[in-house]
Amino acid sequence: MVNDFQVEFIEREDRRARFVARGLTPALANGIRRAMVADVPTFSIDTVRFVENTSVMFDEMIGLRLGLVPLTTPLDDFEPGDTVTVALEVDGPATAYSGDIESADDMVVPADENIPIIELKEGQRLEFEADAVLGYGKDHAKNQGGVAVGYRHLQRVEVVGDAGEFDEQEPNILRGVIEEAAAEHAEGDAEDGDLVATETFGNDLTERYPGKEVEVHDVPEAFVFSVETDGSFDVDELVTRAVASLGDRAAELEEKVAL
Amino acid sequence: MELRVIDKTDEELRIEIGGEDHTFMNVLKGELLQTDTVTAATYDVNPEQSGGQTDPVLSIKTESGVDPLDALAEAARGVQRTADDFTDAYRAGIDA
Repeated sequence: MVNDFQVEFIEREDRRARFVARGLTPALANGIRRAMVADVPTFSIDTVRFVENTSVMFDEMIGLRLGLVPLTTPLDDFEPGDTVTVALEVDGPATAYSGDIESADDMVVPADENIPIIELKEGQRLEFEADAVLGYGKDHAKNQGGVAVGYRHLQRVEVVGDAGEFDEQEPNILRGVIEEAAAEHAEGDAEDGDLVATETFGNDLTERYPGKEVEVHDVPEAFVFSVETDGSFDVDELVTRAVASLGDRAAELEEKVAL
Repeated sequence: MELRVIDKTDEELRIEIGGEDHTFMNVLKGELLQTDTVTAATYDVNPEQSGGQTDPVLSIKTESGVDPLDALAEAARGVQRTADDFTDAYRAGIDA
């Protein structure tokens, strides 16, 4: 079977991206989505050894909050199961932030510095040492690198006629990305085939095609992926690792079938 | 990934694929269904009387003269190609 994939970005930043992928089967699109959520490992604090915790929260509650702090994860340099030691020491009155966590490895540090762990009052103190483990989202949600990953169909909007002349036009709300198919009726500059995010016209088709009656159809085999990471790595890393994980499993299967 | 053949005839195969879930099985099934020599392919993670979720059991039927194990190996190669092609397309999208 010959694949003819095409990827076109609508927005692309370090931690979030939106792209249209064409030529995919629904099975593949969902496989990639699931792999992004569950099969790309990230570092997360797993075991905590408290030296002193005189804060108002129990050790377990602090431990949970620590697990949820995203840590940068250079996947080329670590294997799943590897650990990195981190430590924190904060005296009240102060707020302990994720940025106060010191790591033994400069490559594995909190992805954000301003996540509050706990507010400490006068005389309260928090000191611990912890192990961050490279684990899979399949086993624990704190290890998910993709935090908001999803897709929807690309939609094609066609103008089929005029709205009734004396009708009060009601808002026609559509969210996602449309493929322009009626450029001559659209407000502003537009060409057929343009990919337009619906936010640009307030998610309301009557704003873009005033006085027109429109029909919306899904474009087959075209998916609009919306991907956001927790900062462990960038979107490109997440997507390519997820796809590679599918390929790796297929390679393992092929090898075992041959035996 | 542990493989265990449950049933095997010339044109039919039932095989348990340990440690996998819908993520990979559905992609693999999709690939098998697009292979001309495969007449039927499905998988089940909760077969009747199993008493709950098990490792996925893949069932394949092929046209006569085609070994289902060969069809499975071919589909596994197909998924690898698909993964590589998608990665290439994604990189091309970044550069575009």
